[in-house]
Amino acid sequence: MTFRIFSGAFVAFLLFACAAFAQGTDPKPLFNQLADANFNAAEKLVAEIAATGNPRVVPALNAFSEGDLYFRKSDKAVFAAKAAGSQLELIDPVTGESAGQVAKSAVTKIKVNNNLRRAIRAALGGLTLMSPDRGARLSAADAILRAPSAEALELVEAALVKETDGEVKARMEEARAVSLLSSDRSVDEKRAAIETIAGLGASGLGVLNSVSGTIDPGLKPDLDAAIASIQNEQQLWNLAQNVWYGMSLGSVLLLAAIGLAITFGVMGIINMAHGEMVMLGAYSTFMVQQVIRENAPGLFDWSLAIALPVAFLVTGAVGFVIERGVIRFLYGRPLETLLATWGVSLILQQAIRTIFGPTNQEVGNPSWMSGSFPLGGMTITYNRMWIIVFSLTIFFALLFVMKKTAYGLNMRAVTQNRRMASSMGIRTPWVDALTFALGSGIAGIAGVALSQIDNVSPNLGQSYIIDSFMVVVFGGVGNLWGTLVGALSLGILNKFLEPSVGAVLGKILVLVLIILFIQKRPRGLFALKGRAVEA
Amino acid sequence: MITGFILRALEGKIVIAVGILLAVAIIVPALNLLTPPDSAFHIPTYVMALMGKYLCYALLALALDLVWGYCGILSLGHGAFFALGGYAMGMYLMRQIGSRGVYGNPDLPDFMVFLNWKELPWFWYGLDMFPFAMAMVLIVPGLLAFVFGWFAFRSRVNGVYLSIITQAMTYALMLAFFRNDMGFGGNNGLTDFKDILGFQVQAGGTRAVLFAMSAFMLALCLIVASAITRSKFGKVLVGVRDAESRVRFLGFRVENIKLFTFVVSAMFAGIAGALFVPQVGIINPGEFAPANSIEVVVWTAVGGRGTLIGPIIGAILVNAGKSFFTGAFPEFWLFALGGLFIAVTLFLPKGIVGTIQHGWNARKALKAAADAEKGRDAGAAPTVQQVQAAE
Amino acid sequence: MNTISETRTKSLLYLEDVSVSFDGFKAINSLSLVVEPGELRAIIGPNGAGKTTMMDIITGKTRPDTGKVIFEDTIDLTKKDEADIAQLGIGRKFQKPTVFESHTVWDNLELALNRSRGVFATLFYTLTAEDKARIEEILVTIRMTHRKDEYAANLSHGQKQWLEIGMLLAQEPKLLLVDEPVAGMTDAETAETAVLLREIAKTRSVVVVEHDMGFIRDLGVKVTCLAEGSVLAEGSIDFVSSDPKVIENYLGR
Repeated sequence: MTFRIFSGAFVAFLLFACAAFAQGTDPKPLFNQLADANFNAAEKLVAEIAATGNPRVVPALNAFSEGDLYFRKSDKAVFAAKAAGSQLELIDPVTGESAGQVAKSAVTKIKVNNNLRRAIRAALGGLTLMSPDRGARLSAADAILRAPSAEALELVEAALVKETDGEVKARMEEARAVSLLSSDRSVDEKRAAIETIAGLGASGLGVLNSVSGTIDPGLKPDLDAAIASIQNEQQLWNLAQNVWYGMSLGSVLLLAAIGLAITFGVMGIINMAHGEMVMLGAYSTFMVQQVIRENAPGLFDWSLAIALPVAFLVTGAVGFVIERGVIRFLYGRPLETLLATWGVSLILQQAIRTIFGPTNQEVGNPSWMSGSFPLGGMTITYNRMWIIVFSLTIFFALLFVMKKTAYGLNMRAVTQNRRMASSMGIRTPWVDALTFALGSGIAGIAGVALSQIDNVSPNLGQSYIIDSFMVVVFGGVGNLWGTLVGALSLGILNKFLEPSVGAVLGKILVLVLIILFIQKRPRGLFALKGRAVEA
Repeated sequence: MITGFILRALEGKIVIAVGILLAVAIIVPALNLLTPPDSAFHIPTYVMALMGKYLCYALLALALDLVWGYCGILSLGHGAFFALGGYAMGMYLMRQIGSRGVYGNPDLPDFMVFLNWKELPWFWYGLDMFPFAMAMVLIVPGLLAFVFGWFAFRSRVNGVYLSIITQAMTYALMLAFFRNDMGFGGNNGLTDFKDILGFQVQAGGTRAVLFAMSAFMLALCLIVASAITRSKFGKVLVGVRDAESRVRFLGFRVENIKLFTFVVSAMFAGIAGALFVPQVGIINPGEFAPANSIEVVVWTAVGGRGTLIGPIIGAILVNAGKSFFTGAFPEFWLFALGGLFIAVTLFLPKGIVGTIQHGWNARKALKAAADAEKGRDAGAAPTVQQVQAAE
Repeated sequence: MNTISETRTKSLLYLEDVSVSFDGFKAINSLSLVVEPGELRAIIGPNGAGKTTMMDIITGKTRPDTGKVIFEDTIDLTKKDEADIAQLGIGRKFQKPTVFESHTVWDNLELALNRSRGVFATLFYTLTAEDKARIEEILVTIRMTHRKDEYAANLSHGQKQWLEIGMLLAQEPKLLLVDEPVAGMTDAETAETAVLLREIAKTRSVVVVEHDMGFIRDLGVKVTCLAEGSVLAEGSIDFVSSDPKVIENYLGR
């Protein structure tokens, strides 16, 4: 870092003379010479015009590139022109003032070819480096960074002298370093430039690779070291990005599984309709958004916040009905529960399909859920970030309810020893129903979040049910922490397998690994041990 | 020894069921082939094809009954064994197409030519020979069941855990078979079959024979299943279902018992799949879908698990219902199926045959109790509740 | 050292310094126990003393963390699983009567019979006259000949206990572990069970875990009292029940 600042200052000092030389020349005669120039000569002229550093020539150069530059046959004065009825309006290339209208026959177009256009673009890149507009300067520097050339070097250096904005200056330093490599400057300067580029990360790698064949042999070790350091850094960022993707997938798994951790993990109910609870949550979000779109479009950014309690109540109520209507007759018969709840899931799916149709429903992202921001070498999308935050929030809220509230205590008492709890005055059927409703409601909340990243269709739940069970079983039944660790580790494992074997095979491998894992530890990562459990 | 084993199988109900199946195997194809289309007795080909499909499903349900009804292993992955048997048959049928495919390649099936494959993958070798293909119909599902069961039963994964991992197994296979580079035709599966053993698959006579084979194989498997369940081994099996640790402490190797049954059952399922494919003309990865396997469970439950006959009846009834509903009110089928799952578990846990059998046994028990009371003081005549507890 | 090897040469079952813990809770804490051939031994102890866990260890259901479990002087039971151990000749009756409820009394005994237990052996098994005689003999012993065709589910609780003992006899074990055989029995049934167990013990070793002090007194044998996973006292019932530690821990004041 110190070195970069130092080298920047050094370069600025060194090039001060050049910049002074370029400044102050009047571009007007240069333009006029274009009238007689062939393509080669024109290219040189363009470079000279640009070298004047006068930002006012930018529109005329643009016009040249568009083929809108003409010279007057009478005096060979060069103008930019634009159509004005059947005539052409002439514009002074330097001042930008109108020079009156002439007939088309009075002027001749100055020809332009692709080579010339490229030269003009490069020249413009240099010129906009001096633009008073900060954004324009920044993008000009970026343009050079992307397509460096020795020609741009002096322009950048000239611009650097004047630049005061820290960020723009830094960018220009980088642009300068990149351009310097293909120029004929001294080895020491190039070495400094390589150092600067090494700090650029992925974008610097291309530049370094492109010059690696032609560079001075004395610089080769520096170059290779710089390339290696960039590659190392890139690998680290790739790792971080993979972990992030994995956490993102893990949080989705956690969301889908967390309700199941209650109904299956704590209560021991195999609820195959769990996925449909998630699906109902997603449809609740859709309904809420419909109502908002029609009645209060201004509230759209709040739609998810409104959908959360709605989804919780809707799916919680459905869960309550399922528990009272079906499951309570099947306690102690897990396989039958599995079948009956599968039936429930078919009915719920078909009901939604009948009401809303089989196609995907459009659920919008509020503004704060869309877009992304860069973090070092990786990109973080807002929706993934919020979902991670959200799933962890739900997890800890649930943990709190289970461990710290009277209701949680009752619930654990009932699941551990139903008869004892009942004789202590706990109304066990009530606790059962509420617990199941809670698990279902949480699945509904998960549906709100998943509606943001998945297709909202009647089949939404089906795609999560097997994964959710895998997470709970892998993590260890009856252990909320196990569910958290299980979800995150499965998510990350999946994302690390994906690049080498592909998404589908990765998923298959994860399934196979879990199946093998269950053989080794039939009760999951965090299993309770003891006589009662093993019986 | 073997004859004793088989003879034991031929108990009253089984004999009747086998008789009916053999009669069906003869009469239905005969009515299809020998009567004129306008005759009142004529069975149209599409009806026969439908019935053939039901018989394959019935065999699949029978396979599930062997593990679930008798051994207490609720497999949610039996569709995988069915599909694997189907794929083995499908691969044979693909090889029979020869150079008549769209691309006219004598060795490679069309989809491989399409994917630019140059030669046949090793796992397709030999499947152009019928006996080898038929062996694969048994070996591939059996081997998968063996490997899976070897791990699962040894580490004593049971109950719902086992159900969930069997479901994961079929799900993983589905994902795998959807991949084009697996070499099984990917998404589209295997289809456009031309002939089997030199006979046209679509020809009326071939269809009739396939139907008869389905009924015959079902009868055969029913006899084998009955022989197994009525042997001492079958009694151990029920013991494993009801009191696994007692069986273990009596010195039996529960994992071997389960493994044997699971493998036999998977082979039954494979046979069902192999008969299914030429009759419907296609096999694709959709057959691995977890939902399919669960549907098999409901057929078995409706008919009555642990009865052998029940699952056959259940599979035929439910699928006939499905054909009717999907024709008449397509959107109601899933409601009906879902309702069936709930209703059977809540109100008919023994299934149709189980309930009838139970009523019959209870009547016999009551009569026996009355007789006993006449004779001497029988303190513990079985009550209906007690008989219920027995099952 | 000498004394230990002496005890070992004539022991049927030999436990030395056995410990096992579940999640930090020590269920069995350096327990040592010797059962001689032909011995009838009663084990008492409060709830959680480790009685059932001890049986779990002997029958291979639970692996001990440390310690030796030796059968017939040479066989290390910690290396074997339940089926192996059962085939070696150790039978076990559970606390809750565990019989095959959907089988008849006869079938229950037939399954328990000490015959080859392989998959194919059982598939092709046919009942021989010898086996039939053996089953009938056991039916007489457990006094259930008249109920042989009844489903086990229809038996009373006490009868199920007896059927289970009958099944263990059919297994022809050298050592019989019996967990609370008289729980839930009437007094008459309890007395009869004591007679039955004494009869059985004539031909093999039996270890009985029981809470019922009257029943233990009926048996009139050597008693071991367990508490918190180790042996508290051992000796005749009168000796043990007068031990102050036993009184404090178990019998109560």
